Amino acid sequence: MPSPLRAFGSSVGMKLLIGITGLGLFVYLIVHIIGNLMVFFGPEVFNRYAFVLSSNPLIPIIEIGLLLVFVVHVYKTVRMFLANQTTRPITYAKKRYAGPPSRKTLASSTMIVSGLWLLVFIVIHVRTFRFGSHYEWPAGGNDLYRVEMEAFSNPLTVAFYILSMIIVGSHLWHGISSGFQSLGFDHPRWTPRILAAGKLFAVLIAGGFIVIALWAHFIGARP
Amino acid sequence: MRLNLKIWRQSSRDAAGRLEDYTADDVSPDMSFLEMLDVVNEGLIRQGKDPIAFDSDCREGICGMCSLVVNGVAHGPDRGTTVCQLHMRRFRDGDTITIEPWRAKAFPVIKDLVVDRSAFDRIITAGGFVSVNVGGAPDGNSIPIPKHDAETSMDSAACIGCGACVAACKNASAHLFMSAKISHLVLLPQGAVEGRRRVVSMIQQADAEGFGSCSNEGECEAVCPKEIPISNIARMTREYLKALLWA
Amino acid sequence: MSAIKLDAKIPAGPIKDKWERHKFEMKLVNPANKRKYTIIVVGTGLAGGAAAASLGELGYNVLNFCIQDSPRRAHSIAAQGGINAAKNYRNDGDSVYRLFYDTVKGGDYRAREANVYRLAQLSVNIIDQCVAQGVPFAREYGGLLDNRSFGGAQVSRTFYARGQTGQQLLLGAYQSLMRQVNAKTVRMFARREMLDLVIADGKARGIIVRNLVTGEIERHAAHAVVLATGGYGTAYYLSTNAVNSNVTAAWRAHKRGALFANPCFTQIHPTCIPVTGSHQSKLTLMSESLRNDGRVWVPKKQGDTRPPDQIPEDDRDYFLERKYPSFGNLVPRDVASRNIKQVCDEGRGVGKTGLAVYLDFRDAIKRLGVDVIKEKYGNLFQMYEKITDENPYQTPMRIYPAIHYTMGGLWVDYNLMSNVPGLYVLGEANFSDHGANRLGASALMQGLADGYFVIPYTIGDYLATQSPGQVSADQPAFAEGAESVQKRIDQLLSVRGTRTIRSIHRELGKLLWDDVGMARTDASLRRALEKIPALRESFWHEVSVPGKPDNLNQSLEYAGRVADYLEFAELLTLDALHREESCGGHFREESQTPDGEALRDDARYTYAAAWEFKGVGQAPELHKEPLVFDEVHPTQRSYK
Ligand SMILES: Cc1cc2nc3c(=O)[nH]c(=O)nc-3n(C[C@H](O)[C@H](O)[C@H](O)COP(=O)(O)OP(=O)(O)OC[C@H]3O[C@@H](n4cnc5c(N)ncnc54)[C@H](O)[C@@H]3O)c2cc1C
Ligand code: HEM
Ligand code: HEM
Ligand code: SF4
Ligand code: F3S
Ligand code: FES
Repeated sequence: MPSPLRAFGSSVGMKLLIGITGLGLFVYLIVHIIGNLMVFFGPEVFNRYAFVLSSNPLIPIIEIGLLLVFVVHVYKTVRMFLANQTTRPITYAKKRYAGPPSRKTLASSTMIVSGLWLLVFIVIHVRTFRFGSHYEWPAGGNDLYRVEMEAFSNPLTVAFYILSMIIVGSHLWHGISSGFQSLGFDHPRWTPRILAAGKLFAVLIAGGFIVIALWAHFIGARP
Repeated sequence: MRLNLKIWRQSSRDAAGRLEDYTADDVSPDMSFLEMLDVVNEGLIRQGKDPIAFDSDCREGICGMCSLVVNGVAHGPDRGTTVCQLHMRRFRDGDTITIEPWRAKAFPVIKDLVVDRSAFDRIITAGGFVSVNVGGAPDGNSIPIPKHDAETSMDSAACIGCGACVAACKNASAHLFMSAKISHLVLLPQGAVEGRRRVVSMIQQADAEGFGSCSNEGECEAVCPKEIPISNIARMTREYLKALLWA
Repeated sequence: MSAIKLDAKIPAGPIKDKWERHKFEMKLVNPANKRKYTIIVVGTGLAGGAAAASLGELGYNVLNFCIQDSPRRAHSIAAQGGINAAKNYRNDGDSVYRLFYDTVKGGDYRAREANVYRLAQLSVNIIDQCVAQGVPFAREYGGLLDNRSFGGAQVSRTFYARGQTGQQLLLGAYQSLMRQVNAKTVRMFARREMLDLVIADGKARGIIVRNLVTGEIERHAAHAVVLATGGYGTAYYLSTNAVNSNVTAAWRAHKRGALFANPCFTQIHPTCIPVTGSHQSKLTLMSESLRNDGRVWVPKKQGDTRPPDQIPEDDRDYFLERKYPSFGNLVPRDVASRNIKQVCDEGRGVGKTGLAVYLDFRDAIKRLGVDVIKEKYGNLFQMYEKITDENPYQTPMRIYPAIHYTMGGLWVDYNLMSNVPGLYVLGEANFSDHGANRLGASALMQGLADGYFVIPYTIGDYLATQSPGQVSADQPAFAEGAESVQKRIDQLLSVRGTRTIRSIHRELGKLLWDDVGMARTDASLRRALEKIPALRESFWHEVSVPGKPDNLNQSLEYAGRVADYLEFAELLTLDALHREESCGGHFREESQTPDGEALRDDARYTYAAAWEFKGVGQAPELHKEPLVFDEVHPTQRSYK
């Protein structure tokens, strides 16, 4: 048997890592959106939630873990993409979608594009929210609510977010079910459901974040 | 019917190739796609030109020799059909048809539409077998095999090794081909014995041959003439995981 | 060379013990010495693939060749129906003896009893071996192997893997072969075509092949040569065989001295999809099982062009049921085929060409319901519709016979060695165990028996008499072989005529089909013997072989095969002419019973006709191997 390092370097092992990290990020996004939906309840609830969360001693560890997952995901997907670029030196003059049951979609063909966009988005996003302005919140912690409202008061920011959220949705449209397949999960009854649910979650997550951004811009940010 | 053809011509492995235009006159709807090419070749020979090289043998969808990408789809537009079984009634008078070889680094073109698929043989050589010698086999009925397992195994064993999966995959991945063999064998008690060793060495070989990895797009399944599903790829992954966990 | 003495080397003793005893009596090769013997195996079908794999397992140094790009694509892959074995898992009275008996009788008493008995004995081991290799045979709910009855046999002894039995068996052999490639006992040479046999000091010592990709003429030397290159059905141009099937390897061996036996024994399969036009390149077989439920008929009147559903019952002639009340539509292949031809000759054939009869499922659908028919034949109906664009649930299928299998081949003795020492011939390429007619599901059995279980023993007996060690292709015989191959290639390329190879092949096929096909007469055969040399002449003057010899040149390959067929066809016809009897697949109209059945002439023709090559266009010399029937006594076959 190959050493674990080599094992995860093979075409199948690599996908195991991509799948698990991708799904891990997906789970993070679910948690993340639930947290962010608190914003509808106003600054008290939202800031308190953020404070309680961030004062949990485990958070730094989780954050490092998340960073690690993220880095592995990016590293492996980029490596894989580059490797796959060499497998067909002469491309087809004509190539067409083969029809069902193919799962190929615009989303699946542009994973690297959506992924790289996400990379840029996340850097900007984390800079704004995690390492951005700090307003002391009287009950403790940062006034994240204010940070958020300030950010979304700018229509350009809102536009950038909406576009990014559509791209997140696209990444997940293929990514969620793909992650299960990459981990070897397959079942005659469950696979079709995962395929459908994956798309539903993609829409819900993208839609949810878009609503938050729009709400913040049009309602929350107006005093 | 009269058809316009754009066919990949390449005189040898190292030569540069290009699409050339041909017309096929008097095409009968009863012709198979390869018979249409036979007729075009007859015409070329009569004009003293080099006929178009393409592979075929059984011409009934079982040997896996034929290998054409027709209008951007490996084996052409019909599902579950090799290109030798594709019939011209699928096309209309005046259609333009683009014909290209399988394209993958691991399947270099030998000439025109003929490619070298020996990489597949090497993948099987790496472990796609059951290590039993002739003689000494126990009675065929000594190990009962549930009908369902035998049938599922047969579904995967139906792979004809044509390589359309590789041709269709954006990554030129051999995962469907490989997983079909791994599934065929691991689903039977006889093949399960060396399942772990097999999966690891076959995957290593496929990677060394320069096939890509799988992005779970399923184009391979859609063009596979034997309609082998990508659930086989998931099974291969499970086998691989098992091999890693219980090494 | 005319001093050839045919010795079948049949071991003495009771038929049941012959093989056991022979295995004991044969010499063995010292295990440590095995790798010092090189064996060439040409062909990777069931016979060749199995042989190369098992010889590799024994430790010999094996060189294995095939024309296709991979050994897995040999023509054996196309076999659908199944493989026979006398397992008697069904408790229905089957036994080794019964399989032996059926095969000898089915072959119309023109096979060698001892070989057939061994085949029936080994059939049992084949299934075990294949199961161990992971062949996914059909199973019953209890997990045990399923069987079906096939080709009119009265017992269920056919093992199958859906409609892809040949494929699965071949993949089993192929995988074992690849395992030996991994173990470095076998070296695989794909995309190589054997173009000559090299004989040195009177022994087969190597082959000359053309590398089909580079065009290079390669010389390969060995201590023994095994040919398993399949049948010659494509001599008829249209057949159910793969388009690259050929007689070339066998023919070139024949030209070097190997005797060719019973070439006129060809089998015609009744249920193929009819020809649609001159563009047609091959015919597709529809499984024989269709005749279990389909009824064969034609209109009573000549030239009745009404669509089938408008022909009332009274105007239909269910001719097989009419002539053979007890077997009906299930008469053997040769009988069905001949009757179909006959009604078409009478002008009662159907379809555009008039060369087809109906195979009608209307009544079966009425009786059993569409669902049952769909379950039984769904795949076949689908395949039929794909090819013909007609829905067989609604309109009757149209079928016509086609060449399917060739019983004739290079002559071999009990050890499967030809008259050339060190040259072995296996599978369809030898004159085989099927006599004048092969039963369904028996070719796969024979190929695997030859490859897995016979050759590993018998070749040792020969090799033990040869000195081990390096073999060299530097001998003059190799140079001479390579030169003659080169010369022929140059000749083919230098004709530069205007006719395409295919048009000549098509003409040869039509000629053979018309005159040396299902019903042969003295006159038709003599006519063919005049036409064939003339066609050969025009080939060498008018053919156009484009391209160069130094790369992949499919026209050149094809031209070589057709050129060989043009020589071989003459032998086939001559053999048919000389055999003034009807037996199995060989039907001479002069020799029939009052009801039009094949009538053997046992007094004159109870022998295998083994022909010796004397030069192209020269009369070959006939050697006879008398056939002795100690066990099964020849009777007239009857299916009334
Ligand atoms: C459509 C169809 C269905 C059939 N169904 C059944 C069935 O159900 N049951 C049954 O028992 N039989 C069946 N048969 C018959 C059976 O498939 C064949 O007789 C048998 O498979 C022949 O096996 P083989 O190994 O002798 O030759 P093949 O499988 O024909 O192999 C020939 C090999 O020789 C190689 N070769 C040939 N010429 C050369 C050359 N010049 N140089 C180098 N290599 C060469 C080829 O590459 C190939 O590897 C069927 C046949 C057909 C056509
Ligand atoms: C929160 C952020 C992200 C989430 C939730 C996420 C999620 C996923 C998931 C679930 C998959 C499917 C895994 C698989 O096929 O096995 C996937 C695949 C992929 N991801 Fe991400 N991802 C994220 C960020 C990124 C980033 C930043 C990149 C940048 C390169 C990226 C690139 C890719 C690529 C290229 C694939 C496709 C891999 C393949 O072809 O199989 N992803 N992602
Ligand atoms: C409208 C959309 C979004 C809003 C309002 C939002 C809001 C926030 C906020 C308030 C934080 C700061 C949390 C803290 O400092 O504790 C944060 C952090 C973060 N967000 Fe978002 N987010 C959105 C979308 C996204 C998306 C789509 C992604 C991923 C693709 C993402 C990834 C992250 C990450 C990785 C962090 C840093 C987490 C950490 O350091 O613990 N966010 N986001
Ligand atoms: S998996 Fe399907 S497409 Fe791929 S080689 Fe096998 S039969 Fe061809
Ligand atoms: S098309 Fe390619 S991406 Fe995977 S599912 Fe098939 S191998
Ligand atoms: S030629 Fe055999 S599968 Fe197409």
